[in-house]
Amino acid sequence: MEAGALSNPVLRARRNRIDRIGDPLLRGLSGLAAALAVAVIAGIAYEVVRLAWPAIAHFGIGFITTNDWNPVTERFGAAPFIYGTVVTSAIALIFAAPLSVAISIYLTELAPARVRRPVATLVDMLAAIPSVILGLWGILVLGPFMHDTIEPALKSAFGFLPIFGGDPSAFSYLTAALILTIMTTPIITSVTREVFETVPGELKEGSYALGATRWEMVRQVVLPYSRAGIVGATILGLGRAIGEAIAVAQVIGGATGINVSLFHTGSTMAAQIAAQFQGAPGALQKPSLAYLGVILLVFAVIVNIVARLIVQRGKLKDFQVTPTEAEAL
Amino acid sequence: MTKRLLSVGLALALAIAVAACGSSSSSSGSGSSSSPLVGAGSTLVAPLMSKWQADYESKSEETVTYGAIGSGGGIDQITSRSVDFGASDAPLTPEQFEEAEGVVQIPWALSGTVPAYNVSGAPKNLKLSGDVLAEIYLGKITQWDDPAIAKLNPGASLPSTKITPVYRSDGSGDTYAFTNYLSTVSPEFKSTVGVSTTVKFPTGVGAEKNDGVAAAISQTDGAIGYVGLAYAISNELSMPLVENSAGNFPEPGVESVEAAAGAVSKIGPNNEISLANLPASAKDAYPISTYTYVIVPLESEKAEALRKFITYAISPAAQEFGPDLDFAPLPKQVVAADKKAIAKIGS
Repeated sequence: MEAGALSNPVLRARRNRIDRIGDPLLRGLSGLAAALAVAVIAGIAYEVVRLAWPAIAHFGIGFITTNDWNPVTERFGAAPFIYGTVVTSAIALIFAAPLSVAISIYLTELAPARVRRPVATLVDMLAAIPSVILGLWGILVLGPFMHDTIEPALKSAFGFLPIFGGDPSAFSYLTAALILTIMTTPIITSVTREVFETVPGELKEGSYALGATRWEMVRQVVLPYSRAGIVGATILGLGRAIGEAIAVAQVIGGATGINVSLFHTGSTMAAQIAAQFQGAPGALQKPSLAYLGVILLVFAVIVNIVARLIVQRGKLKDFQVTPTEAEAL
Repeated sequence: MTKRLLSVGLALALAIAVAACGSSSSSSGSGSSSSPLVGAGSTLVAPLMSKWQADYESKSEETVTYGAIGSGGGIDQITSRSVDFGASDAPLTPEQFEEAEGVVQIPWALSGTVPAYNVSGAPKNLKLSGDVLAEIYLGKITQWDDPAIAKLNPGASLPSTKITPVYRSDGSGDTYAFTNYLSTVSPEFKSTVGVSTTVKFPTGVGAEKNDGVAAAISQTDGAIGYVGLAYAISNELSMPLVENSAGNFPEPGVESVEAAAGAVSKIGPNNEISLANLPASAKDAYPISTYTYVIVPLESEKAEALRKFITYAISPAAQEFGPDLDFAPLPKQVVAADKKAIAKIGS
């Protein structure tokens, strides 16, 4: 059919005409889409900096290290929120990354075929829970459970560590970190699962043929082959954890100071912006919240760059070494 | 074939987009009579507003839409003129007035902010004073069996539970009313914390919105927080009785809020009225009563419609919806001041 159509000179001419329009059109449209994405990012960055300018001019770089947030005296600083963001995201990843890798190993290597799809779908659906709902669950269920059970247990076991000192509280860094764990796990899991599925079957079979147990195969083939992918997935999760505002604002307790105890209330940059931006009074509170937004943007850019560097380095090393190692074996 | 379908689809989408743009610009361009009034702001006034909307529409055939996005949001939206009127529980600060350029604020409803507590083993209707509340929120009174609380509740058995003060972490008219009251009774609170829609409390737990505060209170033994009067009553939260300047402990409700409003005749230059500092003669006045305001531009295309709607809102016919929803009717002197302010709109 296609060949017949092209052998007809009239149709071929028409086809050529369409091609002549089609190629530039494709280039134009896709280029426009790309330019639009760049323009949106640049526009947002410009607007946030413009909004933050009064605070940047007033507080300078010292804003980052100032441990205060007092709307009445108009003394604002980012330190409590940078601390809160770093602590909650770090804890969330410490829990979520191993959990996600374990789920992915189970789903790709161990689970019987009829279990795989339903479990994978359910894990993916975790990501579909609206963050407000997760936050409500945090207030009503997780928070009280932390206050009554988890935190007292941690305190009696590790109370000598300052991070587990202080009185248990339903609203705390730790509660927020667990909510973030629940949010990031499906994201990391779905990416690591895909990565694990790309591990070539020959490598796995070769490993088995050499007498490796399933655990040895996972440890020696699947994990090294996927290292860069796992790191990339984790960084993707980190991006989500740093940026989450609503659910964190609901459970972290909105305190505006640095507290070493994980049981204490605190706040994160995103949560603070979400909670206070609307109708912030005074000449400096709103610019200061926008300044937090600038810092958050810088954070996101750094995380992205680091992720790229790690993934690129990992690619060079792992994807070359592992197959040769397998061959050598 | 697919290509043709695609181009047809694209053309269709474009046509719809163009039509949508066209219709929206034509509707904003046409006169004020047909398009509805759009307002946004205070969640406190929202239940009253929904009664007003229905009643006003049936009487005048004009529609009013209202988004309960919070007082702070209402101030933002009217400052940027994205709405026709804003509503806020806290009066505008001088800076906000300047930024909003040419607006007038009019007190149009009257309610209160109430503390609520959850202490197992403590009596119902625990009595507290402003000083005690201030010291709790300053972190100086930390246990429910503190002598200062025991002294106000002779004979009551009080548990030694730790006090967890709960506050609003988002900008809120309730925080404004509450800190305004505490600053009036406690010089120390005024100097260390101060008055605003968000403040820095030295201790306690922050929660989002009325529901967040209520949830935090109900989930924490020993918690005390503050919420809107209507919210507290409709959710049956246990409220302590707060001492007023006459030394009485009035039950929080429409009557005691009305008594407070009746006792204050001082109206500020921008129609702001503080009910925090009540005279001792107001025996039954509830000490943390508060007005909530509508903020309107002096000049706008819809000046006439705004004048009409706000005149309706402060009229007895509209105010009588209040008591069922825990709003007290506006006192006469406030209605008189409001009428003067309404006359300025669009003139």
